[in-house]
Amino acid sequence: MLSKFTASGFTRRTFLKTSAAATAALGLPKMALAAGEPIKIGFLAPLTGAVAAWGKPGLDGCEIWAERVNAAGGITLSDGAHPVEFVAYDNEYDPAKARTGATKLIREDGVSFIMMLGGDTWPGVQPVAERTGMLFSTLLPSDLSPDTTTLLAPAEVHPIYNVTGVEWLAQNKPELKTAVMCAQDDALGLPSVATYLAAFEAAGIEMLDEPLLFDPSTTDFAPVVTRLLAKNPDIICLDTCYSDYVHPIAEQLFQQNFGGQIISCTADFYDQMIAKTSKDFMEGFIFQFPDFDDPALNADTVNFDDPNGFYAEYNKRHPGQWGAVSWEYASIMDLWKAAAEKAGSADPDAVIAAMQEGPGNHAFGDAEWWGEELFGINNALVGDWPVVAIENGKATIKEFRSIPDWYNRHGDLLIKHMQDYGQMWDQRS
Amino acid sequence: MLKPLIFVLAAVALIALPHGLSFSQQEILVFLVINILLVTSYRLLTLTGEWSLGHVVIMGVGAYASALVSKELGVNVPVSILLGGITSALLAVLLSFPLFRMKGFYFLIGSFAAGEIIRLIWKRFREPFGGVRGISGIDPMPDFSLGFYSFDFFEPVSYYYFAGFVVMICLWVLWRIEKSPVGLTFHAVHWQDKLAQASGVNLRAYRTLAFAIASGFAGIAGALQGHYVGTVNPNSFDIEVMVFVLTWAIVGGTATFYGPILGCVLLTILNEIVLRELGFEQARPLIYGAIMILSILFLPNGLESIVQKVLPRKAAPSPERKAAA
Repeated sequence: MLSKFTASGFTRRTFLKTSAAATAALGLPKMALAAGEPIKIGFLAPLTGAVAAWGKPGLDGCEIWAERVNAAGGITLSDGAHPVEFVAYDNEYDPAKARTGATKLIREDGVSFIMMLGGDTWPGVQPVAERTGMLFSTLLPSDLSPDTTTLLAPAEVHPIYNVTGVEWLAQNKPELKTAVMCAQDDALGLPSVATYLAAFEAAGIEMLDEPLLFDPSTTDFAPVVTRLLAKNPDIICLDTCYSDYVHPIAEQLFQQNFGGQIISCTADFYDQMIAKTSKDFMEGFIFQFPDFDDPALNADTVNFDDPNGFYAEYNKRHPGQWGAVSWEYASIMDLWKAAAEKAGSADPDAVIAAMQEGPGNHAFGDAEWWGEELFGINNALVGDWPVVAIENGKATIKEFRSIPDWYNRHGDLLIKHMQDYGQMWDQRS
Repeated sequence: MLKPLIFVLAAVALIALPHGLSFSQQEILVFLVINILLVTSYRLLTLTGEWSLGHVVIMGVGAYASALVSKELGVNVPVSILLGGITSALLAVLLSFPLFRMKGFYFLIGSFAAGEIIRLIWKRFREPFGGVRGISGIDPMPDFSLGFYSFDFFEPVSYYYFAGFVVMICLWVLWRIEKSPVGLTFHAVHWQDKLAQASGVNLRAYRTLAFAIASGFAGIAGALQGHYVGTVNPNSFDIEVMVFVLTWAIVGGTATFYGPILGCVLLTILNEIVLRELGFEQARPLIYGAIMILSILFLPNGLESIVQKVLPRKAAPSPERKAAA
């Protein structure tokens, strides 16, 4: 019997059948939902460790999202309304633990969809996704490849949106002509380096030196900053550094009297950076992630429901913890909810088909499914992205800019630099 | 008569074990089995008195080597796992030339530096190591059937049986080495080095031998992990992982063969199952750290000292006595 069970090819269909039988036998959650039964969503991201800043705030945001949706009646499928609940697993940014987490969420918790940060952890989960057909999302579209059609990047096209900040800078501060850049030498840092290089080249800003890549275990940033300042640049670019790096680098720049322009992908917990440096020093700091109390987010084109209320609630529960990902996972859930309701089902195949039927309602406006040239598959949702500047100690949206417009004009530059850094999907080992 | 019966019962228990666990616990069991080999191989090195901070990187060398030979050269996975172990052992011999010019604390720091150099090489050279992203899509162990049981190595139970079989053989070899005259000489190199040297023992050669053997088995552990997870990257073998190995060894104790295994099993269950199940998902590092400090304060000789108290007649002689024997 056991032999018969294991000898038969293990496909998604057999997996669903056998896991349903096993879960029924073991009294575990069932895959098929009964009316009114909660829809479970998996949250598989780092909740502890150096990368937790891009996991934990997202889970906090999702809990608020779930409460709001449940208060409004839940998610309406063809068999009625269902409340939604999140099941989290801390993958510690480790591929082996991510594999264990994905297995638990799918086979024990019976989730209908799994949200991930992605990056180093995705290759550990990829075989599970391919074997089970589960729908996954990543914040890092560099995880996308034609091998896994059930992986989507619906919230952000990291790092491509970074081009909007550089373009805005070039148009609004044309006197800035030179730049240097530093980044941690990892899967998040390198594609971002290639993107910033393309953006600076497109904007006619000269790079004074090769990007300075430091090891992720670096804790002393004084030598890094000293080397950056040695070239006397107009702009210092902090790439997609984790907040554990952005903060000490900004502190060092302040201590070493840098008075020029800083641009960075993120500025998580920027109030702490202001406290460590000064309001004047941080004035004009450009990055890409707004606070959701920004009035610009009340525009009709924005698809995130009640951003100001969401931000207020988040800050009430988690004061000082608002970061780049606080809203992103919740915005993915907006897309998933809309698609599941359209399909009338939480089944991964039905949801992905409904989601990709026409343009998507991205948080910052309607967007297209895109990415074949860069990622080998059109599974990234791309549209406008905000450019944010710190003004008088507060993050302020300066403008929304179109990523596809930039790519249509300078896509060849981006591909060139991505290839130089081995970041194209077909260059991955 | 009692001993064979105990062995049979233990074997039956180990075979039945995964069937009493949940899916995620089965996954954890696979990694636990691999980590048991890692920490036991580490103990062999500590027998000579040297503590390395590069053991996890050496494990990574085995993982990378096995991944590359199976992926690029099409070598059969079980053979590539063996080649991964051999590569780690050979690299250890190479590293022994600079490293064994040092002892004690200096060796510790030297091993850390050597490990970081290896990690930087993996990061810098996209060809063949995949750079910071590492290597993904590593060939899995090919499925096969024994008639009464079909192995599907995507499934944790199948891989547990395979990895468990390999690890049992490795542990038996490590056990035999420790009980052999070579193993006794390792103890002597640690505890009676001047006396051993005066007796004609080449201290450096024995340190190198212990380093190479320990590294070889760590390489096999790495290869087993790589072919299960399907990916290796430089961050999976960094100093944080090494701290876990040190913790297992210190909390378990290194005076007996089973001490580090005890530490590895109990701390893994605590960290990966108990604390997660109790809902302390995000507080785990804090609680784990506190338990570690408490165990060091109240169990300075490790968890193995409890076993020795419960089973006093089974207590192992102290390493000093072994060395002097």
